[in-house]
Amino acid sequence: MKYIIGIGNYAMGDDGIGLQLIEELSRIQLPSNCMALELKNDALGLFSYLLPETSAILVVDCVKMGALPGEWRIFSPEEVRSLKRVAHASTHDGDLLQILELARATGYSIPPLRIMGIEPDSIEPSMELSATLRERLKGYGNVAARLIQEEW
Amino acid sequence: MTQNMNVNVHHVTRVEGHGNIVVNVTNGKIEKCEWQVPEAPRFFEAMVRGRHYTEVARITSRICGICSVGHTLASVKATEDALGIPLTKQAIKLRRLLKHAENFDSHIVHVLFLVAPDLLGAQSVFPLVPTHTEVIKAALRLKRFGHEWGSLLAGRTTHPTRVVPGGFAELPTSKELATMRDRLINEVTPDINLVLDVVLSLASRFPDFDRPTEYMALHDSEEYGLYDGQIQSVMPDHSKEQWYVRDYRQVTNEYVNSQSTAKWTKNKLESYSAGALARFNNNYDQLHPEAIKVAKALGMKPLVTNPYLNSAAQVVETVHSVHSSLQLMDELLTSGIEQEELGNPTKHGEGSSAVEVPRGILFHHYNYDEDNMCLGGDCIIPTNQNHANIQHDFEKLVPELLAAGKTEADLELALEMLVRAYDPCISCSTHYLNVEFVK
Repeated sequence: MKYIIGIGNYAMGDDGIGLQLIEELSRIQLPSNCMALELKNDALGLFSYLLPETSAILVVDCVKMGALPGEWRIFSPEEVRSLKRVAHASTHDGDLLQILELARATGYSIPPLRIMGIEPDSIEPSMELSATLRERLKGYGNVAARLIQEEW
Repeated sequence: MTQNMNVNVHHVTRVEGHGNIVVNVTNGKIEKCEWQVPEAPRFFEAMVRGRHYTEVARITSRICGICSVGHTLASVKATEDALGIPLTKQAIKLRRLLKHAENFDSHIVHVLFLVAPDLLGAQSVFPLVPTHTEVIKAALRLKRFGHEWGSLLAGRTTHPTRVVPGGFAELPTSKELATMRDRLINEVTPDINLVLDVVLSLASRFPDFDRPTEYMALHDSEEYGLYDGQIQSVMPDHSKEQWYVRDYRQVTNEYVNSQSTAKWTKNKLESYSAGALARFNNNYDQLHPEAIKVAKALGMKPLVTNPYLNSAAQVVETVHSVHSSLQLMDELLTSGIEQEELGNPTKHGEGSSAVEVPRGILFHHYNYDEDNMCLGGDCIIPTNQNHANIQHDFEKLVPELLAAGKTEADLELALEMLVRAYDPCISCSTHYLNVEFVK
């Protein structure tokens, strides 16, 4: 099984892009071996998909990576370093990279996993995406669907 | 004694969302002592207006990603109350089982990943991996089981799909339920026992602090109240009073406070406590015998008035959920899972509900017109019900710590631990990654 997993918070503007993209995917017919799901803020829930039978995971998340707002990039966890304050890390904050670090440290096998990072325009209390991301949402969905179906 | 202290914690860690602690002490005099919550309104109650009754729970389940099941259950129950939608005994049992799954899942994360580091003197769970590997592995297995248990019943634990007004859109098969039961016995029980040994060894490290308050929770005459019941509170003198759920506004009395954008609540006193400790204090006698054994081993018997022990009460409830769920699963498997038609509306009007989510009593209320379209909603979440109580805890705790000669760092840690004990879930949390590319 392949998974597209959205992480984020609907209530904080572009932080919810991962969730909005999963909703966008509900309009696309994914093959039966692909499942799109939201983990929202339950990043530890990712452990339920770190299984031998999982052939690929694409995590869609809001990522501050120094790009222009709305730009996206596909990368593996090994290609980046987290700039969040490690000393105050907690599983409840939902930092995917640290969840994966915890998985490795406790002996979990990580299936092929890539992150579709989307640079935010605005992370502030709002139930809506910024106009920049909202206008590109359909395009993000097409990219994610194509990637999980064709390139893996 | 001359003391000057400035505690300014912006965004308490290991809680969901942003809460601030501000304490200023000048020459031993406390000039400011505040628990601040800069949460923005999200207008869910407005979003449900004009929506068909079948859509409302889909929307309100998104109030919280951790308590998504609880919001769904509260939502469909309020809708069923408003529209006179009947529910079968099987559906009620499956929902009770689902409620156990959610509380189990959330309690495991809170106690083992967020509170345990405090008791072990670590800043997070990550530094504990080399020294407590087996316990953390067990904790991760338990967390994973909780997620899969909830997903079997709800379709998924974040924004459930199977729980709908009138029943379930899809049911687990008897085989799936039997497999889950076997896993509960063969996989979960050994891990729970391992974790309990560690928790019991750390019991003496919970800070010593007492502030009796009012404790509000659901009381169900049939079982330890989680899915259903009436509102009940127990006072410091052990007296209890009950209210119908439809009268929830009489006991919550929401009001605005200048130090917080989240509304506060109060009932008989200036504040009340909701959550595992409130449930424990109200319904101790209805806990499963195995859970009572754990409570006794932790030295807990009502009334427990140390708010830090909310986390210990969560441990007791976790054991209760395991054993009560086994009973529920046995009953369901004995009768066999039967496919059922969904209940349909028989009237229209207003309806209310209450469900115990991990952080406490949750209220939903809706009003529907003759076309079953929602005219308006009202949701009062437990984290907000606890804000005033946290503030009053601060006001008692800070002078005690100062009198005991504690340092600024001690004060900061004690207050952060207190906030974490309530397991608050504040809506302004963010989950984005902040990275630089190294390849």
